Amino acid sequence: MPLFKTVFGGHNRVARCTGWGEIMRLSCRVVSLALSLLLGSALCNGALAADKDATRLAALKARVAMIDAETTYVEAITKIQRLGRAFGYYTDKGYFGEAADLFTRDGTFMWGTDGVYKGNARIKELLTRHGGGSMKEGPGLPFGRLNLRMQLQPVVTVAADGKSAQGRWREWGLLGQYKEQAIWGDAIIEDDYLNDGGVWKIAARRYYLNYEAPYQGGWAVLKPVMGNWQSAVAREFPPDAPSPVSYAPFPTVFIPPYHYADNPRSIQSRPPVDFPSRADDALGKLEAQADAKELALGRAESVRAIENLQAMYGYYIDKGQWKLAASLFSKTGSWEFGQSGVYIGNARIERALGLAGPPGLESGQLNNYVMVQPIIHISADNRTAKARWRSDVLLSRNGTGEWGGGVYENEYVNENGTWKFSLLHYYVTFWGDYDAGWAGKPIPMDQPSTEFPPDKPPTVVYESFPKLQVVPYHYNNPGTGKPWAGE
Amino acid sequence: MIKQLIVCVALGSLCAPAAEAASTSDLTLIQNQLNALGTRITRLQDLTDVEIVQNAYGYYVDKGQWRSISDVFADDATLEIGGKGVFTGKARVYEYMLVGMGGGRQTGPRDGGLIDHQQFQCLPRIHDDGVTAEARCIAFVMSSGGWGHCYYENDYVKENGVWKIKKLVGPFNMYSSYKQGWVDNVIVNTFPEKFMPYPDLPPSRVYLTYPSYYVEPYDYPNPVTGNPMPPPSPRAGGLAFGK
Repeated sequence: MPLFKTVFGGHNRVARCTGWGEIMRLSCRVVSLALSLLLGSALCNGALAADKDATRLAALKARVAMIDAETTYVEAITKIQRLGRAFGYYTDKGYFGEAADLFTRDGTFMWGTDGVYKGNARIKELLTRHGGGSMKEGPGLPFGRLNLRMQLQPVVTVAADGKSAQGRWREWGLLGQYKEQAIWGDAIIEDDYLNDGGVWKIAARRYYLNYEAPYQGGWAVLKPVMGNWQSAVAREFPPDAPSPVSYAPFPTVFIPPYHYADNPRSIQSRPPVDFPSRADDALGKLEAQADAKELALGRAESVRAIENLQAMYGYYIDKGQWKLAASLFSKTGSWEFGQSGVYIGNARIERALGLAGPPGLESGQLNNYVMVQPIIHISADNRTAKARWRSDVLLSRNGTGEWGGGVYENEYVNENGTWKFSLLHYYVTFWGDYDAGWAGKPIPMDQPSTEFPPDKPPTVVYESFPKLQVVPYHYNNPGTGKPWAGE
Repeated sequence: MIKQLIVCVALGSLCAPAAEAASTSDLTLIQNQLNALGTRITRLQDLTDVEIVQNAYGYYVDKGQWRSISDVFADDATLEIGGKGVFTGKARVYEYMLVGMGGGRQTGPRDGGLIDHQQFQCLPRIHDDGVTAEARCIAFVMSSGGWGHCYYENDYVKENGVWKIKKLVGPFNMYSSYKQGWVDNVIVNTFPEKFMPYPDLPPSRVYLTYPSYYVEPYDYPNPVTGNPMPPPSPRAGGLAFGK
């Protein structure tokens, strides 16, 4: 066998013999092996060089096809993100027909426990009624109607065959009627998408309304809902089918099922690769180009994987799923939150997260961590990454609501094709009482826990609002390319 | 399959150089495929880079870093926010920020003055030329004064491989105080003489925002139907498209 490998290039030889019937493949291998043993390498040099070229050519063609397919995969994620965000911009402004057009012809829309509406026309009317538009006079919104529904924090998982996908989104709504009411909306969306000849469409939307809360008092004043909580829209405009899910809204804690519960594809990318040096011939030049493309593609795919990872982390924190959140860190990963100090390793991070409440939270506890405004930079070799994120925080416990705001500067590691947090650091900008606001009643940060002390003290000591400080940028100014000069 | 048969037979008998070597047409085809893939992968990175410019702008506004903000604009960029009118050129962008936003006094954060200028839901689109782009984003403002929700409907340009803001347009949707929220006491828009500095050009669109209705045209067609955005019906709400 050693001679066979030396002469014929090991697995490359086998590759030449594929695509045959089993008998032919076997005989080809036998002939090749016998030949190499009998004749040795000297006699076969010319043929082997040509054969090796053919093998290289076939390998290059296969790699180009792989890069093509995986580029299509990343493009699909961006197209689906586009779909979700376009939906929000339409409903904001009363373009309900355009929003309904983003669905397949027989698409479905499940509105909480109200039920399921089927087809573009029914979805249009559903959105129009909930948004306060007019079926006769559209698009647009009447004077005084506010229907801002921000579509945030996507996790997009594209199926291996590229024909379908799923997504999770957070909807944060500013709703209401001038002089009458101002309302906060909070919902989780789980979507199924279909690829219709390169055009991605929403096939099924499951809209898990968590609350619509009055501005005065906010979500903290909501009382538990018993039994049927059907909306006024559903009473006047009954759904086509009952809802497949039954749950109670906030302050009951309900976890909308994750489409990615058993599928880590959305946080995966190309593993780090050390490309060999390529021969100085025509084929070698193309191989080197393919290496560069594969690396660039891997880095583009990693951007999307890290978006998904950060969003996932936020969704787990939302619901007090500390173990799942901690599992997104590498074994040596570290976690630092405001002035908490630094915790290292999955088990200690899990316990540190648990200082915020019991696993799964308690009734009446809101723990929304909205992950937005990413600035993601992947290292040149696709092995590590850094990202800045903003997080708005919406809290409540024991009937008291709070706001939070801050900035993450995080680091990530590509572990053989799966991205994980290697370092999470949340810098608190402000905490504030809901009723008085952050300006009226700012709340200072917690100091390091005495109950479960950190592994290291805070890396930076600072005070939150009304003090303000610049969180260092991991990147240079995108316009000038120069590092931050202390402005 | 026949080719492979020949290869095997040839190797088995004479070791003649009968394997299919890379022909010129093979190499040309692969080169073309790699070029096309290179363009598509660059577009993916462009989407990220345009979003980075916009999101970086937001973080700089948070902290009153007026110089850093103007550095993400092209030299001949324009800026129009709310109803204040149009500011032309990077120097005027800086002046708008320093004087209009910062009162001319200070650059950098001021304790007690929260102006978080959050960038949400960014939807960039790279044009076929690869060097111009547009994006619609939300700026959701949490400030010491209260709430703001506006769009950005911006143009970008790639100069020497670097994406910059070419045209910034920030139409307002809703501005309100913290105390009441958007139930009442909202700001319907700004206007050129509301605060210094004065603009170079009058507002390109005149409109009232919440509780009135205004929609900035979408730069993109419907992602599914491909149809351009229809104008809003004047009977459905307020003024269509301003002016």
